[in-house]
Amino acid sequence: MTHDDGGTAAVTTIVMLPLLLVVLVGVLELGALRAVAYRAGAAADLATIVAVNDQDPGELVRTGTLRLAVDAAETAREYFARNLSATAPALAAGAAEIAAAADIATFAAAPSVDPRTGARYDRPTVRLIATVPVRTPGFAMVLMPGVTTIVIRSASSAR
Amino acid sequence: MMKRATLLATAITLVFGIAADARDPFEDDWLSPAPPVGPAPDPVAFVVPAGLYYVTDTYMGDVVATTGATTTYSTTTVHESTGSFARVIDTVDTGTASAFDGAAFNGRGVLSDGRALAGTYYENFVLTSDGYLPVSIVFFQDDSETRRGNSATSPSPSPSPTAVPRPTPSPSAVDTATSHGSVAAEPSFRPGITTRPVPRMLRAAIALAPDGPALASAEVLRGRLVHFWPRAFDNGVPTPIRSWRLVSAQPDLVSAASGGTEPLAAQWIRMPPAAVRWSLRFEIFTELEPTQRLEAEISISVRSPALID
Repeated sequence: MTHDDGGTAAVTTIVMLPLLLVVLVGVLELGALRAVAYRAGAAADLATIVAVNDQDPGELVRTGTLRLAVDAAETAREYFARNLSATAPALAAGAAEIAAAADIATFAAAPSVDPRTGARYDRPTVRLIATVPVRTPGFAMVLMPGVTTIVIRSASSAR
Repeated sequence: MMKRATLLATAITLVFGIAADARDPFEDDWLSPAPPVGPAPDPVAFVVPAGLYYVTDTYMGDVVATTGATTTYSTTTVHESTGSFARVIDTVDTGTASAFDGAAFNGRGVLSDGRALAGTYYENFVLTSDGYLPVSIVFFQDDSETRRGNSATSPSPSPSPTAVPRPTPSPSAVDTATSHGSVAAEPSFRPGITTRPVPRMLRAAIALAPDGPALASAEVLRGRLVHFWPRAFDNGVPTPIRSWRLVSAQPDLVSAASGGTEPLAAQWIRMPPAAVRWSLRFEIFTELEPTQRLEAEISISVRSPALID
């Protein structure tokens, strides 16, 4: 009787072990993907904040109002690439390449409506939307795509 | 035993301990804390005669012009500043006597019928280390008369107006003026030529650049150092600032509570409560009117870059 139970346990283990491994790898990969997405999102947030902080000094002297610098979009793109480079090993494309492809828009007049997202901005705003390809080798091990694409969005204004 | 050891260790630590010579790597990033904003001494401590003006138009001479039957009595000036000051002391109508008759170095003329001319008496001052000292009195005539239909007494040989300027004040006139004044004029003061004050509209304002436009309000970024330039305008023309003083303000850090030609550097670290606008209020003195206190105020909106949900 005991001898028969031992054989059953061994068979069960052999059958279930791959499934357990798949679940384990999936959980680990999802956690890693979430961490990368969080860091990429922070990179975008910081980039838009830096761009908003770069106001037009001439306009401030002339009118006393804060207006986005004419190169605010390029500033956001530059800092997005810089911030994203810290996550480069986990990315399936270069940080500069991702930043160059990002959709960055400035809304100097307020209020304004973002034609892409429909969001309404009450202050001059810098908005960034980027598609970030992330390496997911764990998924590839279980016959899933080896690169997962995430979309991050960020918008900042001086309020 | 344990207590003794502890006391001994503490004593050794206190005796041989030295002050740490720490360095704050960010000490240059911050301005010194705002000095208390309090009353500052007046730029000029002595008494200032009421209604004093800085002179920009200088007396040149009296003019009598005749056009047809009308004779006009006026005064010519030249637009220049001698660094002196003046004030109106009396305004008289035709034939009206004044307490200053005979005091003006250029005298007070009369009409053809013998009545004294209408005009204004000005008293001139120079600024010395002892204060504003009166140096002379001048009469600016401003009158006219028309002869009535007597061709025999009012020939009009030429249709064009003729102007007969009187000679500039003679030395005796200057002496008279000096005798009526308290002291002799400063070397830089030209006693033979007195001056006429021009009413001016002095206005003070705040700008964000030395030559920037006057602003009633400004948005500033939180933590950003912003320079505020007190400015003054004389009838719309920029005029130099002599000094300024911060009367009220809410910045977290300011470079100074008062100053001269340098701007105020201010920085806000805290954000204002919702729907609250802060302001900076200045007291400004100009080189033109060192004793005239001007006020300027600029409303401040502190903003901070922030994410939008």
